[in-house]
Amino acid sequence: MKPECSRVMDSLGGPLPAELTSHVATCEDCRALVGGFDALGGVPVAPPSEEAPAPKLEAAHQLALKELAAHPKPTPWWRELLVLLAVYAAVLGGALAWLGRDGMVGNRAPPMVVAAVALLTLVLVGGGAVLALAPSRRRLPWGLVALAAVGVAAVQVLGGSGLQIRPPMRGMLGCMGSEVAMSVLPLAVALVLLCRSAFQPVRALAAGLSAAGVSLLVLHLHCSDGTVSHLLSAHVLPWLVLAGVAVLVRSRLPTRSYAP
Amino acid sequence: MARFCEGDSAAFDALFQRYARPVHGYLTRLTGSPSTAEDLVQLTFLSLVRARGRFQAGSRFKPWLYAIATNAARDSQRRGRRPEELTPEGELPASIPADTPGPRDSGLENAVQRALAQLPEGQRIPILLHRFEGMSFAEVADAMGLTESAVKVRAHRGYERLRELLAALHQETQE
Repeated sequence: MKPECSRVMDSLGGPLPAELTSHVATCEDCRALVGGFDALGGVPVAPPSEEAPAPKLEAAHQLALKELAAHPKPTPWWRELLVLLAVYAAVLGGALAWLGRDGMVGNRAPPMVVAAVALLTLVLVGGGAVLALAPSRRRLPWGLVALAAVGVAAVQVLGGSGLQIRPPMRGMLGCMGSEVAMSVLPLAVALVLLCRSAFQPVRALAAGLSAAGVSLLVLHLHCSDGTVSHLLSAHVLPWLVLAGVAVLVRSRLPTRSYAP
Repeated sequence: MARFCEGDSAAFDALFQRYARPVHGYLTRLTGSPSTAEDLVQLTFLSLVRARGRFQAGSRFKPWLYAIATNAARDSQRRGRRPEELTPEGELPASIPADTPGPRDSGLENAVQRALAQLPEGQRIPILLHRFEGMSFAEVADAMGLTESAVKVRAHRGYERLRELLAALHQETQE
């Protein structure tokens, strides 16, 4: 779209300056645009709601006033974020304390690699929670969330020690079960908080990746198996499936508020 | 808005008196059903009260309110219709059932309503907000969570398509 076309759009509904009038005369797109706008010229701007029955609107008014009286103090969105992060911290701390009775870090990869992957996963957990709950003026881009998920999945797999400590099937079932069990509480709280804003699949995905990321982080620190197949099938795949489940469940839950 | 956020019911009354009917008009045009629009107005203002802690100080109120109304309409369509009646992107369908009464029984308005109903949601909403709700493209962008240039492109395509559709409808009525 040329700058003149953009200025014509801004001037729709009002008198066009001389230079824009001459532009419209030579620009086919703008002629079509002005023609479309003018075609609506005879339709009144005043909404048809003038004819709406007042009792229904008054009922809506009274219901909203009742809600306002019941909750006179608003809940800032960041307080909900703090609640979610506190739940994440409690689950992370509790799970590490429980699983790490014989040593907090079971991962046999070099300590710097373990720390770097853990830090990146922690950033995903925190960032995902913010993206899921913060009010945003712009729609959250799918690409950003997908890129973060792929990035974390890649470093989880590539940062493995390559060692196999337990029999493959036993190790896989153990890690999958632990990941699902540790994700239940963070996912449940994230879903409850998500219902306080309008349903956006990308937000729900960010919340799912973030909530299930807590257990991914615990497994990364605790699990001593580091083969690619184990990390893919028992750590990363359940994490992605849990995030998908979060989107599915959120789409079916009732919405408490439609605010963006 | 600041006083309403602190729980002042008189401030809420003022907002309701100012915006309830325009929002009802918008929702009627968006859904094609005045009775659905009445229910959605209730959900919109209930959401406004419940989510006022999400309102960002310094931002514009009107686009935020219309964003809530649009989300409520989209959710109502998503839940009320079978999945095969939604577009692949999960948007509102581009056509409104023929037996749904138009907002007014005027020939031109009915023709416009029919033409608008044939536009995809991404083009219909910018036109409704810009032409009928008197919002600037910057405000429409705020309400839709898009950039201003993206909204202008959508509105441009929508107005072009409307011209074609209305010309075709006009030709049909003359024949």
